[in-house]
Amino acid sequence: MKNILKTTLIISYAALALAACSSDSDSKSEAKSDGSLIPNTAFASTYEPLASDDFVITNAEIYDGIGGQIPNGFIHIVDGKISAIGEGGFTGNAGNQIDAGGKPVSPGIIDIHSHLGNYPSPGVTAHGDGNEVTSPVTSEVYAEHGVWPQDPGFGHALAGGVTTLHILPGSANLFGGRGVTLRNVAARTVQAMKFPDAPYTLKMACGENPKRVYGQKGGPGSRMGNVAGYRKNWIKAAEYKKKLESGKDVTRDIQLETMAGVLNGDILVQMHCYRADEMAQIMDIAKEFGYKITTFHHAVESYKIGDLLAKNDVCSAMWADWYGFKMEANDGIRENVPFVHAQGACAMIHSDDSYGIQRLNQEVAKTWADGNRAGLAIPKAEAFMWMTHNPAKALGISDQTGSLETGKRADIVLWSADPFSTYARPEKVYIDGALSYDRAAGLKPVSDFMIGQNGGHE
Amino acid sequence: MLKHLILTCVISMGLTATANAQTIFIDDAKIATLTNQGTLDAADMIIDNGVVLRIGNDLTSPDGASVISGDSIWVTPGFFAPYTNLGLVDISLEAGTNDIRANTAKTSAAEQAADSFNPKAAAIGNTRIEGITRIGVAPAASHHVIAGSGLIATTSGRFDSMTNESAFMFIRLGEGGAAIAGGSRAAALAQLRAALDDAIAFPGRFTQADNGDSLSRYDAAALSEAVRGQMPVMIEADRAADILRIVKLKSEYPRLDVIIIGAAEAWMVAEDIKASGIKLLIDPHESLPGSFEKLGARPDHANLLSEANIPFAFMTRTADLSHNVRVLAQHAGNAVGEGLLWDEAVKAITLTPLSWFNLEEAGKIRQGQTANFVVWDGDPLNVTSAPTHIYINGQEQSLESRQTKLRDRYNPITDDSRRQKYR
Repeated sequence: MKNILKTTLIISYAALALAACSSDSDSKSEAKSDGSLIPNTAFASTYEPLASDDFVITNAEIYDGIGGQIPNGFIHIVDGKISAIGEGGFTGNAGNQIDAGGKPVSPGIIDIHSHLGNYPSPGVTAHGDGNEVTSPVTSEVYAEHGVWPQDPGFGHALAGGVTTLHILPGSANLFGGRGVTLRNVAARTVQAMKFPDAPYTLKMACGENPKRVYGQKGGPGSRMGNVAGYRKNWIKAAEYKKKLESGKDVTRDIQLETMAGVLNGDILVQMHCYRADEMAQIMDIAKEFGYKITTFHHAVESYKIGDLLAKNDVCSAMWADWYGFKMEANDGIRENVPFVHAQGACAMIHSDDSYGIQRLNQEVAKTWADGNRAGLAIPKAEAFMWMTHNPAKALGISDQTGSLETGKRADIVLWSADPFSTYARPEKVYIDGALSYDRAAGLKPVSDFMIGQNGGHE
Repeated sequence: MLKHLILTCVISMGLTATANAQTIFIDDAKIATLTNQGTLDAADMIIDNGVVLRIGNDLTSPDGASVISGDSIWVTPGFFAPYTNLGLVDISLEAGTNDIRANTAKTSAAEQAADSFNPKAAAIGNTRIEGITRIGVAPAASHHVIAGSGLIATTSGRFDSMTNESAFMFIRLGEGGAAIAGGSRAAALAQLRAALDDAIAFPGRFTQADNGDSLSRYDAAALSEAVRGQMPVMIEADRAADILRIVKLKSEYPRLDVIIIGAAEAWMVAEDIKASGIKLLIDPHESLPGSFEKLGARPDHANLLSEANIPFAFMTRTADLSHNVRVLAQHAGNAVGEGLLWDEAVKAITLTPLSWFNLEEAGKIRQGQTANFVVWDGDPLNVTSAPTHIYINGQEQSLESRQTKLRDRYNPITDDSRRQKYR
């Protein structure tokens, strides 16, 4: 039995890619042809947008998500995509017309750091599937395999305007595993939520968590051990990558193939890291092994090294005001996001929280106001990027979403009032042009879990 | 005329010599008085020597007064967060800095958070500058459902900031209480009833230290005030069925002054709560079925409690109970976002909870009263607003904290070319 298993695992990657291509032209196996190292044949996205009609939103105050603002404009949606956006009235053949009544419209919000589904509500032990706390190196695990699509939190996040979210493994391990980018749609399977062709990510972690978790379990037991652990494993990954590139038959190693994917630029590194000095060291490790860190997550001290982050083209995904729960979070300031932005580095908000994800607009508003109170002069429309374009960029999907531009997916939020106000609520949320949430009409996805519970309510 | 009034007020209030002798004129502000005057538009206020001298429209600024004016000034009483762990912890994960719970202690009701409280904790300064001027500080339960007593303090950061060292008793029921008591709610309630009976029978029952059914003599003594209704008990519980058991407990021990913390499903049993006189401390952000005891959590909870005419106040449990208690106003603002009246939301973070601890006066702004208010640069429940002036017990407070100092050191617009450590 053991031998059979081993034999089936010894596969030429070239053959695998070819076989996959011939059986399913839509699968992610095509990745190989565009230069990626390893084909993604398993767990392919089966995402289908909800049905939608073409329509035009008029009389809207538009925040385009890339820094622009149109005081009175329109957005025309055809086949779930933005076909036109502009100032004034819309003169073409519109289909349905939605008069925004002068209210704000923005891109759907993107949360780059969520554990919805892998730490769902209710928080029962049986569903704590977000952290493979068994070894400091678990790059072989995939967050999507722990996502419970019935997490009621997805619907609540949608009511907060979140249309795309990135689910990460936890931060116990140096190499935590693959993250997955999801469309926030009602679905029975995680595959039906997967953002088509979004790159995979690798969750890594700095600092206190790995050394705390493994200090008495064989290490790492210090930040020194953390760094040694990264370097030892990048050496292994580089060797594995070389083997793959040689074209010879290689015994498949799903732990190393995730890391090799990073070295080849196919998989984006999303790294949990708080302290400025530590981020600087991690950027040196990236240089040593020739890979790119896409985003530091939490990044509570990014404001101290905005210049370095800008120079290395590394984004920071931050909270507005969380701090103090552990030593490496002690130097949090309320102006972290705007200070990083003002230093020319890529900044964004993130939630890491099933409650925070419901009001990321407020978190942006808070930190934006604090930054400007400290003397910056960041326009509101620019701050919008912190929850739209910048997370899209850091997830490798900014060609598809995160902004209101012609050709982009029609992921759109109609707000009841200025989204930088505590009192504003998303009134309507569209995903690929399909109305997915309508506050007034009571349209919203309800998890199977909530059906028939005594406490269940509308 | 004004000067004369100032003098008489100062004398009548008997302020100490340390009070701020400055005269302040607040010009054209929206003032939430929390009195029957309601919320005033474009009102002026004169404060002298730490006392509110006059409130009215079109007042004249006294000579030499420092004037607070701006495009959109709002004034509210300082906010009160009745349930926090502030001052009990510096860094949550560093055990040596964290006195929130005592897992291996033998004591329960006798543990006083006041003995652990540090008014100099950096988080208290970070909280104050967001307009929260008073806090209740509770210990967490560890081996007994009764955690110990909590305190009330101002956020001045002064060593004399504790105003009530033993203000309430904290008790954990629901899932958490069940786990503490041995695994079931039945065990938790049995432990609690036995403890209450021990306290009622104190000192008669105790010829020896261990004569109690649940409490030692020392713990029973500490619980005796609460059981006689002389200090409130905060009981954390969420499930509607659990709340009904607390309502029943209250009927068995009618002198208990009960505040339920959490109460996520309170709306389902509103009539029973109303009849019992029990008060509720809820988190308006509590929207998720975070556990099986909160399946009925809903974001518009405050509206339903308001309609049922149940006294309620707000807390920040879904965010944090120490470092981020400072977002209390955001939580109140979101209750407004779900339909609660603005005045009711402000009341739920000022007058209502203050009145539970005999601090009503700090929750109102009216003539002759010691200055206990915050001036804001916009609607205080809006996340983009911030305090510009804070007064606690007549004293103007610093708007600096450890975080503002870090901010200033690393502000990208600084023209200070020295290395950060020299700034």
